[in-house]
Amino acid sequence: MKKNITIALAILLATVTWTSCKKHAPVDEDGLLITTRRDCYVSNFELLGTDFVSVRVGAPVIDTTEQTVKVTVQFGADLKNLYPQFTLAQDCKLDPKITGLTDFSDTLNHKKWTVISGDRNVKKTYSVIISVQP
Amino acid sequence: MQPRSKYIGYAFLLMISLAFFTSSCKKDSYALPVASDKLQNQAIKRTLGPNIVGQQIEFAYAMAILPTKGKLTSCVAEASIAGAPGTYMENRSFHTAQTGADVGDSVGSPSVTSGTTTTVTYTVDTSAATLRYYYVIPEEARGKTVTIKFTATSSDGESVSTTMGPYTIAQMDMKLNMKVSNNNMMYISIGDSTVYNATDAAAHAANIDLVYVYRNRPNSAFNHALVAPAADTQYLPGIILPTGVNRTAKLLKTFNLQDHNLAPNEQYGGIFIDDIDFQKLDLAGAPNYAINLKQDAGVWVETADGKYRAYIFFNSVSSSGTAVISMKRYALK
Repeated sequence: MKKNITIALAILLATVTWTSCKKHAPVDEDGLLITTRRDCYVSNFELLGTDFVSVRVGAPVIDTTEQTVKVTVQFGADLKNLYPQFTLAQDCKLDPKITGLTDFSDTLNHKKWTVISGDRNVKKTYSVIISVQP
Repeated sequence: MQPRSKYIGYAFLLMISLAFFTSSCKKDSYALPVASDKLQNQAIKRTLGPNIVGQQIEFAYAMAILPTKGKLTSCVAEASIAGAPGTYMENRSFHTAQTGADVGDSVGSPSVTSGTTTTVTYTVDTSAATLRYYYVIPEEARGKTVTIKFTATSSDGESVSTTMGPYTIAQMDMKLNMKVSNNNMMYISIGDSTVYNATDAAAHAANIDLVYVYRNRPNSAFNHALVAPAADTQYLPGIILPTGVNRTAKLLKTFNLQDHNLAPNEQYGGIFIDDIDFQKLDLAGAPNYAINLKQDAGVWVETADGKYRAYIFFNSVSSSGTAVISMKRYALK
């Protein structure tokens, strides 16, 4: 009996030790999981006005080679106050983060965002090129 | 413990447990509650949302006494600030019919309002009634608090009171269902809470804050728009402004903000815009135009002189270039 208890305790101890020594999944400075994925691109883009209604005209043109997002907005859209929304490849993140209304009124100097892959090793900077519907 | 005494112990425990279960499941006998032998009263406020000058606050005041003790003789509502004309108390006590409709039975003479008090004197022999009181918020109550004291008296000389409030009266005011039309009633003054045509706008040029414009363009979304007179002319296509109409404003578009005061018939209109929304509104960096507006769209506005903030809601629009708008307005200075 005593021998069985000893064996059981030994197995339990080994299990606990093994579990506690298991390597944690890595996370980045934002607390996001770092994965092995190397995909790094923008798959969709949206622009919302202050009323949270899209101001986009037609589909955005995303060039993953040129790393540009071209989007036409409605006549009269307030370019100083727009909410951009990016859809990215799986596990990617965006830098800088979008925290609210963004000013797109300087149409000569395009806004840029960097897409960072899931493994955090690939970085691609996209320019968002806005044109206004005549 | 010997086996025999152990069994006796188990049996004893079992019996005790059964006794507990039986007693805990026993149904309590019901006794009719005994009605208080004193004159009773209770009040509720029936209206929701901000209390706006010119609008009603509705109360339901219930009072009752045992029939063996007496009957109701009068009901008085006393406001801390006298209500505006139109303040009254129903002389009918309502009950709900099977159809769900409120049915009123006259129980007293029409209410008499004198200063801060409104009185209904009972004319029928009744020991219980619920009367509704409609307090029309007066201008002098703006930004202050109001309390309402209800008092019921009975034939045995008893009197009972309950006080409702204090209720804060909003600083803002509102104007409902203003009709605007393209090339005619298109000049909006927030300060005056009025829509003008070109002739009248010229006479009130310093007060014109917005121009209503409608353009149906096949290749761009212009539609209904509110534009400050000082905005870029591309947002005022073909419009020659009356002399002196040149103010700017800050405008912020929103959608589906269906304020219940401005849009009482909207299906989802359960939102109320109150003073605090105007106080916290930040229109820094907002443009001086809002185009492509439609029904249920709204625009937050701040006038050029910083005197007013407003929320203008589009109740309805038509493709003939007309719209019905309603406005809540908050004076900043």
